[in-house]
Amino acid sequence: MSDLRTRLEEARAEGLAKIETAGDLASLDEARVRTLGRKAQLSQVRSGLGKVDEDERKEIGKLANDVQQQLEEALRAKRELFEAAELEQRWERERVDVTLPGRVPPLGTIHPLTKTIWEIVDIFIGLGYVMAEGPEVELSLYNFDAINTPADHPARSAQDTFYIEGTDEAVCLRTQTSPMQMRIMERQSPPVYVVVPGRVYRRDELDATHLSSFSQLEGLAVDEGITMGDLKGSLSAFARSVFGNDLEVRLRPHYFPFTEPSAEMDVECFVCRGSGVSCRLCKGEGWIEVLGCGMVHPALFEWVGYDPERYSGFAFGMGIERIAALAHGVSDIRHFYDNDLRFLTQFRGSA
Amino acid sequence: MKVPLRWLEEFVSLDVSVEKLVELLDLSGTKVEAVTKPSGAIAGVVVAQVLEIVPHPDADNLTLVDVTTGDGEPQRVVCGARNFAAGQRVPLAQVGARLPQMEIGERKIRGEVSRGMLCSSAELGLSSDHSGILVLPDDSGLGVDIVSLLGLDDTILDLEITPNRPDCMSILGVAREVSALLSNELKRAPIELETDPELSSPVRVEITAPDGCPRYLARYVEGVEVRPSPAWMTARLLSVGVRPISNVVDVTNYVLFELGHPLHAFDAATLPDQQIVVRRAKTRERITTLDGHERLLHPDDLLISGKKKPLAIAGVMGGSDSEVGPHTRNVIIESAYFHPTSIAFTSRRHGLRTEASARFERGADPEIVDTAAARAAALMQRFAGGRVAAEITDVYPAPTPRNEITLRTARAGQVLGTSLASERQAAYLRALEMGVTQADGVLQVEVPSFRHDLRREIDLIEEVGRLAGFDSLPATLPPGRTGRLERDQAIERSLRRLLADLGLFEAWTGSFMSEADLERLGVTADQPAAKMVRLANPMSEDEPAMRTSLLPGLLRAVALNERQRARGVALFELARVYEPTVEQLPHEALIVAGVMSGPRRRGTWIGSERAWDFFDGKGLVQVVFSALGLPEPSFSPVQGRPFHPTRAAAVAHLDVTVGAVGELHPKVLAGWDIERASIAFELALGPLLAALPAKKKVEELPRFPSNLIDVAIVVERDVPARAAERVIRDAGAPELAEVDLFDVYEGDQVGPGKKSLAFALELRAVERSLPDAEATAVRDRIVAALTEQLGAELRG
Repeated sequence: MSDLRTRLEEARAEGLAKIETAGDLASLDEARVRTLGRKAQLSQVRSGLGKVDEDERKEIGKLANDVQQQLEEALRAKRELFEAAELEQRWERERVDVTLPGRVPPLGTIHPLTKTIWEIVDIFIGLGYVMAEGPEVELSLYNFDAINTPADHPARSAQDTFYIEGTDEAVCLRTQTSPMQMRIMERQSPPVYVVVPGRVYRRDELDATHLSSFSQLEGLAVDEGITMGDLKGSLSAFARSVFGNDLEVRLRPHYFPFTEPSAEMDVECFVCRGSGVSCRLCKGEGWIEVLGCGMVHPALFEWVGYDPERYSGFAFGMGIERIAALAHGVSDIRHFYDNDLRFLTQFRGSA
Repeated sequence: MKVPLRWLEEFVSLDVSVEKLVELLDLSGTKVEAVTKPSGAIAGVVVAQVLEIVPHPDADNLTLVDVTTGDGEPQRVVCGARNFAAGQRVPLAQVGARLPQMEIGERKIRGEVSRGMLCSSAELGLSSDHSGILVLPDDSGLGVDIVSLLGLDDTILDLEITPNRPDCMSILGVAREVSALLSNELKRAPIELETDPELSSPVRVEITAPDGCPRYLARYVEGVEVRPSPAWMTARLLSVGVRPISNVVDVTNYVLFELGHPLHAFDAATLPDQQIVVRRAKTRERITTLDGHERLLHPDDLLISGKKKPLAIAGVMGGSDSEVGPHTRNVIIESAYFHPTSIAFTSRRHGLRTEASARFERGADPEIVDTAAARAAALMQRFAGGRVAAEITDVYPAPTPRNEITLRTARAGQVLGTSLASERQAAYLRALEMGVTQADGVLQVEVPSFRHDLRREIDLIEEVGRLAGFDSLPATLPPGRTGRLERDQAIERSLRRLLADLGLFEAWTGSFMSEADLERLGVTADQPAAKMVRLANPMSEDEPAMRTSLLPGLLRAVALNERQRARGVALFELARVYEPTVEQLPHEALIVAGVMSGPRRRGTWIGSERAWDFFDGKGLVQVVFSALGLPEPSFSPVQGRPFHPTRAAAVAHLDVTVGAVGELHPKVLAGWDIERASIAFELALGPLLAALPAKKKVEELPRFPSNLIDVAIVVERDVPARAAERVIRDAGAPELAEVDLFDVYEGDQVGPGKKSLAFALELRAVERSLPDAEATAVRDRIVAALTEQLGAELRG
């Protein structure tokens, strides 16, 4: 009886010593077999328990469990130690120099003019507009006559407008996005809230601020009860959103054949804030012209069959290259069409 | 339009600062483009008299000029101009003087000391006229500072006059605006003209083209003495940018700028019988204009003519034969009203834009004709002497009626978004010299003859609005609707983002194209791309038509970047091409195209450099289809330029070709001076967007695992991989879910003329797992089909 106890205590002491002296995971495994395996002292004591009477069996069984627990605990602790050390070695083996260059996937850019259009379109979508696009090769009827351009207006001359061969000047390259106003109003009834980005063409000699093909964005809002105050509120919100919320905005009366009253919108010069006589951006004026606008001329409503007494509206147009150049400080708008990677790369991110 | 403030003040009191005046003009529609003060840049320039001119000993094109400023020693200057004579007065920039472009010091010119410089009006910053020294009137005081003599210490506003406001192209017109803005009275000095009742006017006028010339008035002045104008008039003309010529001519220009009405002075001696006919030109008729050009006239051109010979192109420019010269004694002053359209076409036809044509073509004032003539006659009398005939020849058979417009003042409020009292609206219109009668919120407005732009109610609302000031309007927002991008618009955006995120730079290239581009691309006449929409009036030979391909623009950009030594270039463009149709307008098709050239990946410490190749291009096309949610397109070999004959594929969606991808032919690259091999693709987006399904419904996820089996076969080298895949798909149905070609091998192990293709197959049964035995059966089925249809052998 006490013999069993002694054997269990021996198993405990021997086992702990084996575990203690194990020098690596392999010898620890061997120690586990020797202390807890089928042939180990502990297992043999357990298998002899059947011959012991019940009271004692309980007591000895408890002691055996106790020994087993202690050995298992010792094994586990030792194993963790070895594993930790092994991991340590592995980390060291697998160490990389994080300052070496990464494997960078190629990354292109969206063109600055596309980005500018998206930014402007998104502002107007937020104000409840939709977007439409129209033909660049356009009937002179829409490009000029429908939008109230006088028959002898200089813009109609072959000096200023591209015409398509063989059409006797009935078909031109649109000189503005405004003809889409008429196409949209012709195909739908009010209310109309729409912006139209697109390419336009004029026979301008190339220089830092003129291209024979460039881009505009047109806007049109027609509804019952639209006022010039609505024009002012909408376009001020737009201009501030693009150029800066703290900037002053003003409407300056101007002339366009298709709007009446007509105006140009100026934004306070965001370089000099109206203070600089020698400001290179505003040339000392303190203001930057950003768009043309006005109340839709009743003649346009009459042309599409809207009742000008019932409906009113405003229209606006702006040059995309100009807005992009102003926003990014581009001095020569020809850069936008060179597609020089050294230029395009600069428009990564939210630029 | 340049407006010297002192001249303006003769018509309206300016009791505000220049800054305030500028703001008022800006915000009422007359934009001030510049405010200049010529005197700021000029100092030390005085009136001198020429004493003697002698040749320069060492330079044929220079002279030595002795001048005096009235006190002290004569000074000698070296001068290059010869347009003056001894005795005349000229501006002398003394040593130490400052001019807009230079400072004057004593210096030696070809060995001769020059103590100062004689100035042209360009050197004084008054005009761009470099043609000679500015000869001053004889009454200019010697030694007097040129700044005070010419009134250069005045402030000059440079105004942008919009095309609808020709009435503002004059001092009087601007004064009228300012008078309304400041509520200061518009001053009109009475014209002091003494006519000679004894003198009868010999002029007879006949208008045979009344549509082009509704009114023609002539006045006769006899016995003038042509000489330089007085200094103040010279100065004023210079300050508005006009070169002084002689008192008689200067007077007509002076009145043009002052009252806005163009006049012309004829030398009466050059008119046979003093007969003036206003008529259209005859076919092949010619005239030599004052600028010395002989011009072939068009039958629509309006002429002022003598009995036979034309004297002037009406409203545009006088003829040199009837020009007022130094010996002119008797003058006919023409003051007429010409129809805008006629003048506009003539001016454009001859490329001849003058101060006169600019005013007539926008619309002059038919009622100011007599006032302008009287003002000119009075000034001529004052500065050139002579007698003015009391008799006036004024042919005005059908006086232009004034416009009458009704303005509902409540309507003005509705349009502007703010309510303005009827009285206030009436006051604004009256301030602009409109006749207004008021009753029950309605204004009856009589439009003055100089305001051609006021035709209907809305035009008056604009006048009310701009005088009230747009800054006084409320800033409100209209209701708006549901704003969003349409599906295709959103897809277009995500496609651009996708390609940019895959490493391509978005390009914007021009819309034009030429035959040379087509030729370099290798497009043959029978290909659709050869049919271009052509311009009637292109700006250059390089851009005669609308593009039918995005490739030329992209290739130009690739070449540019290659010249800039960019390592690799990958560009795409999403834009339109223009295809002629039987309709009036062409079809504008949306295309996405890309060109990739040079290394795709640079050599790094991790891996070596790799160039863009065909499969990169094909992969981009595949990912575009995949991103659009379209099934994999089919690729079939395609021959012909612009592509490499054996490395290009047509891309088809459901058997309809929508584009191509391939390596570009070396000849095409050479056409754009591109050295490195380049890959290109071009896809028509229209058919793809049209093929997109509506919102997709999700399929149930498979609940049982699939079986994965590999099959490797050996086939003849020219069997397309796609053919093998098709056989596998047909034979593998319905259990076959996916086929993936993962290896291609040619070489010793399979023998010459053969290749091995290895496929990974994914097999699946519906609603159960596929037992291994069944999977093997499917595999055997597939192998049998491959053997039968392609002569394939299973690779052991």
